[in-house]
Amino acid sequence: MPRPGAVIEVDRNTPPVLFHFGEGMRLERLPLGSRIVYPPDPLDPIAHPERAIKRALAKPLEDDPLKSLLRSGMKLTIAFDDLSLPLPPMAAPDVRQLVMEEVIDMAAEAGVEDLHIIAALGLHRRMTEDEIRHIVGERIFSTFWPDRLYQHDGEDPENNVYIGKTSEGEDVTLHRRAAESDLVVYVNLTLVPMDGGHKSMATGLATYRGIRAHHNVKTLLGSRSYMNPPDSALHHSCIRQGQLIEDTVRVFHIETTVNNHAFPAIANFMQKRETDWTAQDQAMFLGMKQMTDLAPPAFKRSIFHAMRAPYGLTSVHAGQVDAVHDKTLEAVRAQLSVRVEGQTDIVTIGVPYLGPYNVNAPMNPVLVVCMGIGYLFNFYRNKPVLRKGGVLILTHPCRYEFDAVQHPSYIDFYDEVLADTTDPLEIEKKYELRFAEDPWFRQLYRKSHAYHGVHPFYAWYWAAHAMEHAGDIIIVGGDRDVVHRLGFKCATTLEDAFEMAEQTVGRYPSVTHMRMPPILLADVEA
Amino acid sequence: MLALSFQRSIPAFAIVKAAGGRPDVATSAFSMLKLGDVSEPVLPAGWVRVMPTLSGICGSDLAAIGGHASLYLDPLTSYPFVPGHEVVGTLDDGSRVVVEPALGCKVRGIEPPCPRCAEGRPGLCYNVTEGPIEVGLQTGYCADTGGGWGEVLVAHPSQLHPVPAALSDEAAVLIEPLACCVHAAFRGGATKNDVVVVSGAGTIGLLTIAAIKLFTPPRRLIAIAKHPTQRDLARKLGADQVVAPADVFQRVRFATSARRLEGMNRSLLLGGADITFECVGSAESLNDAVRFTREGGTVVAVGMPGEEKVDWAPIWQRELTVMGAYAYGAEPKKKGKRTFELALEAAPELHLEQLTGPYFGLGEYRDAIAYAMSAGRLGAVKVCFDLRGLRA
Amino acid sequence: MTWYSGEGGAVRLASTLGSVVDDVSRVRRAWHWDTPRPHTWPERGAVVPAPASDLGWARQEPVRSLRYLIQHALLLPFTEVMAHPKVEGREWVRELERPVIFAANHSSHADTSLILHALTDRARDRTVVAAAADYWFKRPMLGNLVSLFLNTFPFSRTGGAQAQLHSSSVLLKSGWNLVLFPEGSRSPDGRIQEFKPGVGHLANETGTPVVPVHIRGAYQIMPRGQKLPVPGPARVRIGMPMAPGPKEGSREFTARVEKAVRALEAEPRQPAIQGTWIERWGAGKPREPKYQA
Repeated sequence: MPRPGAVIEVDRNTPPVLFHFGEGMRLERLPLGSRIVYPPDPLDPIAHPERAIKRALAKPLEDDPLKSLLRSGMKLTIAFDDLSLPLPPMAAPDVRQLVMEEVIDMAAEAGVEDLHIIAALGLHRRMTEDEIRHIVGERIFSTFWPDRLYQHDGEDPENNVYIGKTSEGEDVTLHRRAAESDLVVYVNLTLVPMDGGHKSMATGLATYRGIRAHHNVKTLLGSRSYMNPPDSALHHSCIRQGQLIEDTVRVFHIETTVNNHAFPAIANFMQKRETDWTAQDQAMFLGMKQMTDLAPPAFKRSIFHAMRAPYGLTSVHAGQVDAVHDKTLEAVRAQLSVRVEGQTDIVTIGVPYLGPYNVNAPMNPVLVVCMGIGYLFNFYRNKPVLRKGGVLILTHPCRYEFDAVQHPSYIDFYDEVLADTTDPLEIEKKYELRFAEDPWFRQLYRKSHAYHGVHPFYAWYWAAHAMEHAGDIIIVGGDRDVVHRLGFKCATTLEDAFEMAEQTVGRYPSVTHMRMPPILLADVEA
Repeated sequence: MLALSFQRSIPAFAIVKAAGGRPDVATSAFSMLKLGDVSEPVLPAGWVRVMPTLSGICGSDLAAIGGHASLYLDPLTSYPFVPGHEVVGTLDDGSRVVVEPALGCKVRGIEPPCPRCAEGRPGLCYNVTEGPIEVGLQTGYCADTGGGWGEVLVAHPSQLHPVPAALSDEAAVLIEPLACCVHAAFRGGATKNDVVVVSGAGTIGLLTIAAIKLFTPPRRLIAIAKHPTQRDLARKLGADQVVAPADVFQRVRFATSARRLEGMNRSLLLGGADITFECVGSAESLNDAVRFTREGGTVVAVGMPGEEKVDWAPIWQRELTVMGAYAYGAEPKKKGKRTFELALEAAPELHLEQLTGPYFGLGEYRDAIAYAMSAGRLGAVKVCFDLRGLRA
Repeated sequence: MTWYSGEGGAVRLASTLGSVVDDVSRVRRAWHWDTPRPHTWPERGAVVPAPASDLGWARQEPVRSLRYLIQHALLLPFTEVMAHPKVEGREWVRELERPVIFAANHSSHADTSLILHALTDRARDRTVVAAAADYWFKRPMLGNLVSLFLNTFPFSRTGGAQAQLHSSSVLLKSGWNLVLFPEGSRSPDGRIQEFKPGVGHLANETGTPVVPVHIRGAYQIMPRGQKLPVPGPARVRIGMPMAPGPKEGSREFTARVEKAVRALEAEPRQPAIQGTWIERWGAGKPREPKYQA
C-alpha cells in the first residue's frame, strides 16, 4: 500500500537526512524540532498501459473517439513533449511511445497518408537522434525520421504563423504545419502540475513572440505558484492563448501521468525515507557517497545521467483539453500532494543533479538557481512553505561549469549579465532583447543543440518569486565566487548556514526540510 | 660618471639568448649591460645637460637587454650607449624638464628637414645617421647622447619640455610612454561608433586605454588584461570591460554580436572589434588580434614586437589594415600640436603616479631589471630608476 | 617537502580514508547497527515497489559487450564441441527487421545455448531469453550469472497470465527478440508437451510474429535430472515466422504454433513450415546497403 506523504518531526532518534548535492550527496543532521516533509510513496502503476490507452482513445472526455476523427486524405499532425520531461528520463518504453504507437496504429488503419510528428520543444534545444529515439521508440523513429518526424524550430520565419492576439493583447504564434492541419493530436506527459493543458500547444509550438507574453518577470511574480495553475498568472495567460489556438485548429489532447518512482533500484536510498533504509540501502549510499566524493566530474556525470527512472503510468486521459487537464491535475495531485501545516522561518532543500534543462549536461550555476530557487521552491499550493522574509538554504556545489554546446547563451548570461546585476526586472529591461536577437545564438538554436538565446533569462525569472519572497538565500557547499556572482550567501556546512540565517530570522527559528526529489507538492495550510 | 652602459658583444648576446633572456643571466657579468664609470657625453654646440631624477625601464630596454629585440634595430643604434629614454630630470639651473627622446632633423641640426620631420614625425627621420651625434633613433639608443640610466645626458633644447609644478616627478616619468600611446590613439583614429579592443595591460596598454578614452572616445572599450592589478587599473583608467586573455573571443563576440567559428587551434569571429590596439607584441596576442578584429578593421601595433610568427592569412582575407604606431611628434588631428604637449596637458587628471613604482638605485640594477621583467605578475606597472642624490 | 605536508599522495589518501571511516561510522550510529530499531521511527513502510526487477542491467553496455566476449570465447565453442549442432533455417533469422518470438520445445537446459548458437550474431545480440523466475532467480547469484551468459530475464511461471506477460511485452516493444518455451518446463521424457497459451497472447497483444523452433537431441545431451552434459549430436530447425490471422484468437494461434513445432520434429523437410527454397532464399537476401548522401 503506497503511503501518503508525511511530515515528520526530528527528535533525537531521527537519522540524518539525505540532501542532494548536485552530482553527489550529503548526510545532514537537522536541528531538533525541525520538520521533514516526505513525498508520498509511488502509486501503483496501471498494469496494462496499452489497454488503458486504447480505452482512453475509444472513450475520450467531451470529444469524439479518436478513430472517428481520422479519415483518409486528412492532414494529421502529432505533437509530443520533449525530453525536459520526465526527470530522470524514463526507462524504455517511454509512455509517449506507447501512446503514439496506438495513435499511429489507428491512423494507419484509417489510411491517413499525410502524417507528421513534431517534437514540441518551444525554445528548448533540439534533441539528438538518440534522444528522440529514446522517446518515440525505434519503430516510429525508423518509419518517420527525418522527413515526417522532426523538431519544432521557433526561429524559422517560414514555418511559424501568427494566429492572433488574445483579449489581453498577447500574441499567439503556432507552427505552420500544426496550424494548417485538420487535426493535431498532442501527446503530453504531465509530471508536475505546471505541465499540460493549454500550455502544451501555447508554448511547445510557439515562437519567442508568443512565449514572451507570459515568460516575463511581471507574470511570474504574479504566479504564486506556477505549480498550481488556478493561482498562476502564467497559466491564465497560456489558457487565453490556448483558447485562441483551439478556435483555430482542431486539437485532440492525450495527457498521461506517471507516479513518482524516480530512481531505479540501484538508487533506492534516494527514493526511500531514511527510516526505511535497509542494510543494502545503507551500503549503496556509502558506496555512492565515496564514489561521488572522489571521482572526477565527467565520470560522475556519466553515471548519474545514465540513470533511468522506472516510472509507471498512473492515468491517461484523452479528449477536450479542459476536461482532460482537470482529470490529469487530479491524478497528479493524488500522487504528489502532502499536507503541510503552517509556514516556517527556514526551508532547506538539496538541489539534485538534474533539472529540465540540463539533460546530459552539467547543471551550471544559472540552472542551479532555476532548479532550486525556481522549481523546488514553487512546489506549493496556497502559500509557500517558507514564510515571507524567511531564509532559503540550498545545497549544491555550484561549480563554474557550462556546457558549451547546450548552453552557450548561459555562459554569456553569467559572464556579462550577472556581472552587472542580478535583479530580474533590470535584467529583463537591459539585456533580454539583445540575447533573444543575437544572430549567433539564433543559429546555434536552429542548427546545433543549444537552448535559445533568451532561455537563461527565463531560467532566472523562474526564481524571481522566491527571490522576492525570501529574506535571504544561502547556498551550502558552493563555490564562493560563483555564489556571490549569483547574488547569494555562501556557507561551507549546514550548521554555518543556520548560524548565518539566525541573523535574518532570529534565534531558534523553525525549520522545514523538503525531502525532494522524488517530487512532492506541499499543500500549505494557514 | 656612474652609468649603466650597453655594449655590443656577439658572445654576450649569444649567451643571453641561449639562456632565454632570463634576468639573472641578462644582467650578469656575461651580459651586454654593465654598471660602471663612463665619461660624460660631450656637449655639442647649443645643447644642454640634463641630470635625470627618475628614469623608467621600458619594454624596449628589456627586449634589448634580454636579447629578444629584433635585429632590424641594430643598424639604427650606436654602441656603447646608456639606456633610458623615459626621463624626468633637472637642468643646470634647477628647472624640471621631461626629455623627448626622438633624434630627428631639428635635433641633429639638419636643414632642410627630411620629409618625415617636415610633417612632424621625428621618430621616422631619414637623417638619423647625420649631425654632430652618432647614429641613433632616440636618446637612450645613441652613443653620444647618454641616457636616463646615468648621471648626465645631453639634449637639444627642442627635446626639452618644462614640467608644470603641479605634476610630480613620479607622474612626469610616464609622459614619454603616454605620448607614444596618444600618438597611437590618433593613428588608430577610433570614432564614437567603434568597438575598440586594447590587448595587453602593461604600461603601454594602460596608457593606451587612457589616451583613447581622452582623445578618441569609442562606443565601447574592451581591455584584455592578464593580472589582477592590471585589471583594476584598466578599469580605473576607463576601460568599459576587462577580460582575461583566454576569454577574449567569447567576450568580443558578445560585445559585437558576431559569430564565432572554431578552428583547429584558434577561433575566429565573423564580425568583431572595429579597431584593435595590440600592446603586447607577442605572437599569441597578434594572432588572436587578427582574428577577432572585424573584416576590414584595423590592427594598430603599439607594443614593440620582435620577429614574431604571425599568420598572414587572416590579414589578407579579412582585408585588415595593420599599422605600426611608433614614437610621437606633432599631431595633425590637433592642428599640429606636439604629442608631448598633449600628454602633459592630459597628465594631471590621470594620476599617473598610481602606475609608477617601485624605485631602484642604479646600484640595484639587477633587481630592478628582474622586477621589471615580471612586473605584471608582481603587481607593478612602471619600474623606475631613482637617480636623485647621485650628483652631489 | 616532507611526506606529511601539503597535498602529497599520502596525506590525501589518509584524508580520504578518514572521510570514509567517518561516513561509515555516521551511518552506523544513525541507523543503529548495534542497537534495536527505535520505536519512535514510523513503521517500515511498503518497500517502494521495485517493479519486479527485469534485470535491466544485463541489457546495458558494458554488460552486452562482456556477454559478446563470453559467448564467443566460451559458450558457443563449448556448444559446438558438445553437440555439433546442425542448423536448418538460419535464413529466417539473418535479416530480421522487427523483433520476433522464438517458440521452441523444451527438454533440457542445453536448449538455450543451442538456440543461441543457431542464431546469427546480429539476431543473437538483440535476443533475450525468458527464464523461469522461480527456478533461476530464487538464488541471488544464479540468476545474475545466467543473465550475464545468456541474456535471460525473469519470467514468472506462477501468478496470473497478465503479470507473466507484461515484462515480456515490454521487452518486445523495446526491440528485443524473445526466446520462449511455451511448454513451461522441461519435458520429463523428451516428448513435446502441451503448449501453454501465453505465447499466443503475447503475439496478439504486441503484434509480433512467432518463429517455431524445434531442437532435437538436447534431451540426450542433458536430460532433466542429470547434472553434467554428455556430448551428442543435435539438430536445430527454424521455421518460417508465423503471424496470427486477423480473427485468430490466442488459443487457436498457440495451437497452430504447437502444431508447427511438432511438425518440425519429423525427419523429412517440411516446406509448409520451413518454407520452400524460394521463400528461404528471399528471406536471406541481404538488405540494400544504405549509402549516405
